[in-house]
Amino acid sequence: MANERQEILEGLLEVLRTVRTIDPAKLEGVTEETDFLTDMDTPSTELINIAAKVEQKFDIEFEDEDIDRMGSKVKDVIDLIIMVMERSANK
Amino acid sequence: MSVAGRRVAVVGMGGAFPTCAGLEEFDKKLFTGQSLIREWPKALQYPKQIRSTVAGYITEPEMNLEAIHPVPETEWPETYVDHLGRIPDLNLATADLGCVWAMIGALESIEMAGWTKEETESEQTGVVVASGGGGNVVSRHAWHAFYELGKKTRMAGSHTVDRAMSYREAANVSCLIRNKGVCESIISACATGLGNIGYAYRLIKFGLQDRAICGGVEGTALETFIGFDAMQVLSKGFAPEQSSRPFDVKRNGFVCSFGAGIVALEEYEMAKARGANILGVIDGYFNNSDGDGNMFYPSYDGQRRLWKGLMADAEIKPEVVKVHGTATPVGDILELISVVDTLGEDGYHVAAPKAQFGHMLGAAGSVEFIATLLMLKNQKVLPCINSDELNTEPENFQKKDGWQGSDKPAAAYRHLISQEIVEKEINQIVCLNYGFGGTNSAMAVSRDDR
Repeated sequence: MANERQEILEGLLEVLRTVRTIDPAKLEGVTEETDFLTDMDTPSTELINIAAKVEQKFDIEFEDEDIDRMGSKVKDVIDLIIMVMERSANK
Repeated sequence: MSVAGRRVAVVGMGGAFPTCAGLEEFDKKLFTGQSLIREWPKALQYPKQIRSTVAGYITEPEMNLEAIHPVPETEWPETYVDHLGRIPDLNLATADLGCVWAMIGALESIEMAGWTKEETESEQTGVVVASGGGGNVVSRHAWHAFYELGKKTRMAGSHTVDRAMSYREAANVSCLIRNKGVCESIISACATGLGNIGYAYRLIKFGLQDRAICGGVEGTALETFIGFDAMQVLSKGFAPEQSSRPFDVKRNGFVCSFGAGIVALEEYEMAKARGANILGVIDGYFNNSDGDGNMFYPSYDGQRRLWKGLMADAEIKPEVVKVHGTATPVGDILELISVVDTLGEDGYHVAAPKAQFGHMLGAAGSVEFIATLLMLKNQKVLPCINSDELNTEPENFQKKDGWQGSDKPAAAYRHLISQEIVEKEINQIVCLNYGFGGTNSAMAVSRDDR
């Protein structure tokens, strides 16, 4: 499980490195507790772009409600990815 | 209305020009009689669908930019990287290609003007910039992802609005330079470039602003080109450098081009007081409409009224008339006749710079205004290249009942239209541009030491 979360975190970091409005220096030492808005200074308009990129990267599709409920910490995004992966596996 | 004694100077310029690394190369190529038109590889990719394949295009690498494409790769530019570090990433994220050029042109203009940070960020500094077309490159992806691929709206990204909205260039420039005055766009098809400068001129002349960054833009977009190609109004059948041929008897359409022309305007006395280099002084601006209900066809009456309006408030005696001259069959000669019937048959030259760089649509008026400022600086008239042969017969519209203008053929005015660069004293130039919808604009600009 921890291994899975680490793999997702690494995939997420790959996505974040393509977001040019995030300072690459802020991606050093990112943990699950890192906050996109307060720690990474991500412009709030970029969160939806990150969500869309995550969907492409992990080949999943979020429901609109998933995104509405998503928190701004890295762990919130990882939780969401796992939940959506499980949901689609159970379908 | 205009405040007595208040004048407007041009103190800076910049932008994006096909095949040119910057303003200096643009100047050099124009005044050595070169053409900036090339065969367009992007158009050649669709040989069965596209009629015309020449253009005055600018690629991203030519502007030291790189388009970042998402994975899996599509043509859609998710954002741009500026390899010269001129524009911060945060500003690039909200910009389409034309906006990036507008921001670069704005920075170049401010640097040339020598404005301080305080002056640039002042409540007295306005931004008036626009393009003729929509953000077509960005919109195409958004629509395709939604309608054709059935994707969620977010797949188009969160910047579809700011990168494609009608006044995106003004918004992006203003966010970059942080001015606190006016931020607006004036949109009037191919009169857009001059229209934005004209509106900014009025803001200063009327006492509402002291400074303005203004001009027009048209970002390279096959999507834009396609619309004109469909109308069959684009030049076809000539070598690229011979494709744009205003006034020539064999002309068969305009060459679609792209670019950006941005200038810095400043209240004249303020500019003088701080020792600014004055590139030109605007003598007057006037715009009107044909009023004949015709979307496309040029109007002799509308153009004569345009001149009358321009002459009402300013002393107009130009050594050069910089015409719109697109190389469409009717427009060139009708415009020539309206100039001749206004100014007489001698004493000035006609310059049609589209002969060298094509028709930049929303950027046409402002890039041609920059070409005009360069004519003032160099004291040379740009050559009307490719005007090899002028019609010795009157045009059909001159033979119609009720025609009010001169019935002489274009060849009778060969002495006004030089294929070579003419060196002479140039004190004042009148700039003319028109757009679909029957909109007409005219501006007179003089050198400072006139």
